[in-house]
Amino acid sequence: MSRLRTVAGLLGHFLHRQRFFLAPLLLVLLAAAVLLVLTGGLSYVAPFVYAIF
Amino acid sequence: MSAVLGISGGYHDAAAALVVDGVVVAALQEERLSRVKNDPSPPLRAARACLSIGGIAAPDRVVFYENPYARIERVLVSLLRGFPRTFRQFPRAIGAQLGSKLWILDDLAEGLGVPRAKVTFVAHHEAHAASAFYASPYPRAAVLTVDGVGEEAATAIWHGTEQGLREVAHVDYPCSLGLLYAAFTAYLGFAVNEGEYKVMGLAAWGSPRRREELAKVVQLSSDGGYELDLSYFAFHTDTELGFSSKLEALLGPRRPAERPWDLETAEDRAYADVAASLQALLEDALLGLARTARKRTEEECLCLAGGVALNAVANARIAREAGFSRVFVQPAAGDAGGALGAAILGAMKDGAPRPAPMRDAALGVAVDAGEANMLASALGFAVKRVDDRDAEVAGRLSRGEVIAFVDGRCEFGPRALGQRSILADPRAAATRERINRAVKRREPFRPFAPSALAGTELRWYDEPGDDMTRFMTTVRRAKDTTLGAVTHVDGTARLHTVDPESRFGALLSAVERESGIPVVLNTSLNGAGEPICATAADAVAFFAAHAVDALVVEDVVVTRRPS
Repeated sequence: MSRLRTVAGLLGHFLHRQRFFLAPLLLVLLAAAVLLVLTGGLSYVAPFVYAIF
Repeated sequence: MSAVLGISGGYHDAAAALVVDGVVVAALQEERLSRVKNDPSPPLRAARACLSIGGIAAPDRVVFYENPYARIERVLVSLLRGFPRTFRQFPRAIGAQLGSKLWILDDLAEGLGVPRAKVTFVAHHEAHAASAFYASPYPRAAVLTVDGVGEEAATAIWHGTEQGLREVAHVDYPCSLGLLYAAFTAYLGFAVNEGEYKVMGLAAWGSPRRREELAKVVQLSSDGGYELDLSYFAFHTDTELGFSSKLEALLGPRRPAERPWDLETAEDRAYADVAASLQALLEDALLGLARTARKRTEEECLCLAGGVALNAVANARIAREAGFSRVFVQPAAGDAGGALGAAILGAMKDGAPRPAPMRDAALGVAVDAGEANMLASALGFAVKRVDDRDAEVAGRLSRGEVIAFVDGRCEFGPRALGQRSILADPRAAATRERINRAVKRREPFRPFAPSALAGTELRWYDEPGDDMTRFMTTVRRAKDTTLGAVTHVDGTARLHTVDPESRFGALLSAVERESGIPVVLNTSLNGAGEPICATAADAVAFFAAHAVDALVVEDVVVTRRPS
C-alpha cells in the first residue's frame, strides 16, 4: 500500500507541472510499471545510462 | 534528538550520511562496504553502518538526494524530443525508470525499516549546493554546482546566506559540462564515470592546440553561459557512446580503449593534446560561470560541488582568476556528497542548526587493528605491535619502503587523506614509476599527491594552502623538482595540507625528524578497479595481493618476513 504514496506523488508532480499531454502515456506506462515490479523489474548497465535514464 | 539519514545513489557512487542534532556523525560510500567500485545500488550497507556509528536504531527521517518524479518527467520529455533517434532507448529507459528507479523511496523505506511517510527527497543540485555550502566555513557564499545531470539541471548558481540557499540561475540538460567531459573520456578510451581523473592527468602531457576547434563543440557566451552543439554528441540518444561521428571527423578517430598508453608516440601525444584542449575549454567555461556567480551574488566566497568540482586543476584557476577571496570544495563533491547535502537539508528543515564546518573527512567506518593482527597472522605474515607507530613508519619511508597505511575511520569521498593511504618518500621520481606500475597497475602518466604539514608548504610550492588543500581539491605549482615523485609533468601537484594537531600531522612530524621534510607521497589504498579499502580485512587482502613493503594498521605492522 505504501507504493500508492509514490503513485500519488508522481501524478501530483505531473499535474503540478501541467504536463497534461503526457497523461495518457504516463497512465499506460504506470500500468506496465506495476507489471515490471511484480515480475522483479529489469536492470541495464551502460556508460551513459545516467544521461538518458 | 533528531537523526536524519541522507541517501544518494541509483546511478553511480551511492552513499549515506547521518546528521544527528546538526552534527555530521557519519558519511560513507556504499562501494567501501560492497567492494564494487562506484557501486550505484541503494546504499543500505552504508546507511546501516552510519546508523551503527551514530548509535541510532532508526532515523527520524530519510532524505533522498533527488526528485524521482522530476527525473521521470525529464526522461520522458527528452525521449519524446529526441524521437525517432531515441526509439531504441525508449523501452529500456522507461522500463528502468518505472520498473525500479521510481520506487527508490519505497525501497529505502523497506530496506531501512522506516515508515514510507518518513522518506522524502530534495532536488539533486540543491543537495549538491548544501553539501558544499553547509560544510564550508563561510556564513555567506556564492555556490556553483556542475555535474552530468540531476533531474533537469546540469549546472546551477546558488546564493547561500544565513537564510538558506536560493537558486540564482541554472542551465538544463542536455547542455552539460559533466556530460561533455564524460563524452571526451569515452573518446579517449577511458571508462566513463571512472576515467575522468585520467583525462585531467593526461591533459598535463599535452598542449591545448585543439582549443579553437573545440569552440565549435561548445560555445561560451560573454554572460558566463555555455551551449553544447549536440550534433557532436550522442549521450542524449545513445547509452553506449557519448559522442557522435562528427566529433571523430573533427578530432580524428577515437582512441582504442584496450591499447596501452605510450606518450613517447606522436599518436598518443595527439590524444594528450585533445585532453589538454578539453581541460582548457572546461576551465574557460567554469571561469565564466564563477564570474557570473560573483557578479550575481556579490559574495567574496565561493563553494563548488558536483562531479565537475573534483577537477582540481580547474578549481585552482577559479581560485586565482574568478575574483573570489576564498574558494571551498569538500572532498566528496560528486554524487556521494549529495547524501551529505540531503541529510543536512533534512536536519535543518527539522530545526537543527547549521553543522560546524567540515574539518576532516574521516567520517566512515573505523578499522579494527586487532582484526588485522589476527587475519595477517593467520595468513602467515610477520606481525608485530609497535609502541611508536609514527617513528616506525617514518623509518621505513626513509629507507625507501612503500607502506599501506590504515588509521582510524575511512575517508568520505574519492581522496585518500591519511586514513586509507599508500605512503612513500616523495623525492625520487622512480617511486612514482614503481607505484604506478607495480602497486596500482595503472597508466604510467598518472601523478601522485603530496601530503605536507600545514605551514611548511611554501618551502616547495608557490602559494600557501587554503580551504581546498585541506581536502586535496586544488593544485599548487612546485618551486623545483625536489619532490620528484609527487610533481606532475606540468610542475603542479594536488597538494594536501595536514593539520599538525591531527594524527596524520603527528606522523608527518615524525617523518620530518627522520628525513628532514614533513612530506609524504600519498595515494589511495586500492588496487586497479577496486574501491579504497575500508576494513582491516580489505587492508590485509590488499597487502597480500600488491607489492607494498609493509602494512601498518594503527599500531600493528605487517610484513612479509620478520623485520
